Amino acid sequence: MKKERLLITAWSISFVVLFILLIFLGFLMRIGQAEMKKLLLADFYSLMTLHGLGMTAVMFSFAFAILWYLISTRFVSLNIRIGYLVYFTLLIATSGLTIGILIGKFGPGWFLLYPLPFKSGTWLSWSAGVTIISLIVLGLAWLIGILHLLYRLAKEFGGFRNLLGWQYLRKKEVEKELPPMVAVATISLVPALLAFIVGAVMLVMYLLQFIDPEMKFDPLLLQNITLFFAHTFVSVTLFCGVAWVHELLPEFTRRKWKTSKVFVYFWNATFLLILIAWLQNLYMDFIEPGAREFSGQILNFLSAIPATIITMYGVIVQFYHSKIKWNVIPLMFLFGVAGWAIAGFAATVESTISVYKVLHNTMFVPAHLHTNMLMGVTLFFLGFLFYFFCEKTKGYRGRIAKVGFWFFIAGGYGFVLMFYFEGFSSIPRRYARYTGIGIKSMHDTAVQLSQLSVFFVIFLFTGLLIMCFSLISAFLKTERNRISG
Amino acid sequence: MAKLILQDVAGIIILAGGLLVVAVVIFLIITSNKGQDHSSDKNKFFGTKDRYFWASVLVVVCILFLSMSLLPNRRNRDKADEVVTVVGVQWDWLMAVGQSNQKPDEFIGKNEISVPVNKTIKFIVTSSDVTHSFAIYNKSGVLLTQIQAMPQYKNELEYIFTEKGKYTILCLEYCGLAHPFMAGTIHVN
Repeated sequence: MKKERLLITAWSISFVVLFILLIFLGFLMRIGQAEMKKLLLADFYSLMTLHGLGMTAVMFSFAFAILWYLISTRFVSLNIRIGYLVYFTLLIATSGLTIGILIGKFGPGWFLLYPLPFKSGTWLSWSAGVTIISLIVLGLAWLIGILHLLYRLAKEFGGFRNLLGWQYLRKKEVEKELPPMVAVATISLVPALLAFIVGAVMLVMYLLQFIDPEMKFDPLLLQNITLFFAHTFVSVTLFCGVAWVHELLPEFTRRKWKTSKVFVYFWNATFLLILIAWLQNLYMDFIEPGAREFSGQILNFLSAIPATIITMYGVIVQFYHSKIKWNVIPLMFLFGVAGWAIAGFAATVESTISVYKVLHNTMFVPAHLHTNMLMGVTLFFLGFLFYFFCEKTKGYRGRIAKVGFWFFIAGGYGFVLMFYFEGFSSIPRRYARYTGIGIKSMHDTAVQLSQLSVFFVIFLFTGLLIMCFSLISAFLKTERNRISG
Repeated sequence: MAKLILQDVAGIIILAGGLLVVAVVIFLIITSNKGQDHSSDKNKFFGTKDRYFWASVLVVVCILFLSMSLLPNRRNRDKADEVVTVVGVQWDWLMAVGQSNQKPDEFIGKNEISVPVNKTIKFIVTSSDVTHSFAIYNKSGVLLTQIQAMPQYKNELEYIFTEKGKYTILCLEYCGLAHPFMAGTIHVN
């Protein structure tokens, strides 16, 4: 277990440092939009690209690392070399992305929507190649890591179908209990695998066009591929977090969370729905077949049902009358699931086609994304970090951590609320400045909400730093105790 | 009292949903200290699960049925009173009345155009370089409708302007450096 602890400690420290740096990039963007400091357009868009690509890469990697750690220490041994391969590849790829984007000014946005990476003329030509190669290398490492993890789990639990829980559908008594975390991790990582394979195809096509600019591809095909890859990828990061909530939360509520037939039905339905949620992003391409628009809306509506019934309801049952001794860890898990619920509900409303046409590509989109990733996934990460670093010192019971947590919640929800208000005010997304909007009321609303947003980011940042201080204190105390024996 | 627009309705529904989630969280924290027999609590909750599931399905089906009738992009096909060709190009909108068969990079159009009020206008939208989004705003800054402008493809958007005045076109799909400055104008007479 020492090797696994060392790996996750290194990964945790890297994650916290990178995460804070990437938040800072987003902070600079909001300052630019708030007209508090003038940013060059090229600088804004390279910050935007690195913030988006960096966050999605770093967050998925850390989600994978947490699953790796918990699975390897509780259920089945994993090859530590593969763990280190994924970790070091993340560091190398992040360096490549930083060079390509900050120095090369590569700024097509984290989606890399075709054919923009090849059409701008404003970023250095080599920057596209460096970014694409960094992403391909990272994707390959993730593929290897996921395949290894799924292979070892399948071997331990008697096959892939058992990982999906199908043995519960056939028999009342099963030979080996399937931990909920393993089921949810499988249901998260298999779509991730599919997304990375599709993403790899996309990146190879981009690399071919980078090498031979005369080569061209169908933009509609690539838009479909990009959106499937990107949306599935961020969804899976969230569901990985839900997986370890299933494992760790019961230690605080002292209530078991068991796999059952109902659990298996709903999570298998979620597995399919993760794979189709991306369809709603294509409503504005009216050349898409009409059936796809209808089916996209229907399936997006239905996708809310399994998630709310089995997980959110399950969380309510965990907490209700639990006589829990409240500390930051269950608070973080509870609020993380709440963030997911709010973001999911907002997305379901938006997936109504008639609403989508007036909210699509406004600031509503970052509102949904940041509610999920900041007020959902990040809280799952923080819950794990406190669990891991403070387990021996019980530092998660301290007041400092709670103060930091409440600062984070207040700042975070204030921050995302500004995005929602901007979305409802039809403010476009990805505008470096609002001076080009010829409607004064729109410009003023956008700038004022951005300014408020900056204030909330400072609050959120303060909360993060307070919690980091608490984590560092706990880590140092544990190390001192370990050394003194 | 100002009339509620679709964005307002969506906003109210979403904020109400958010407040409901917050209320549940507060409820769980407040009631967590009241200890009861754990198994009876669990049974009580799981007993309502089936009812909750069928209630959810019913609500979803009703909302779906109601919202499908508002599908914007399939109405009035082939019944346009006027056709406007639009080509998005980094970083400008080129527009001309009538359907053009020219290639997008050879198309000649203007950044401003006039169309009649209370008539169905069909915009045939494409791009000559990267994907843009053709979005129409009224003078109050409310987004009325939008459609993607994609290279190699033509999207059709039908819209009826019910008020005279000046409308602004903005690009909503990030298309490069001057994306925030890509604007056009529609005069409705």
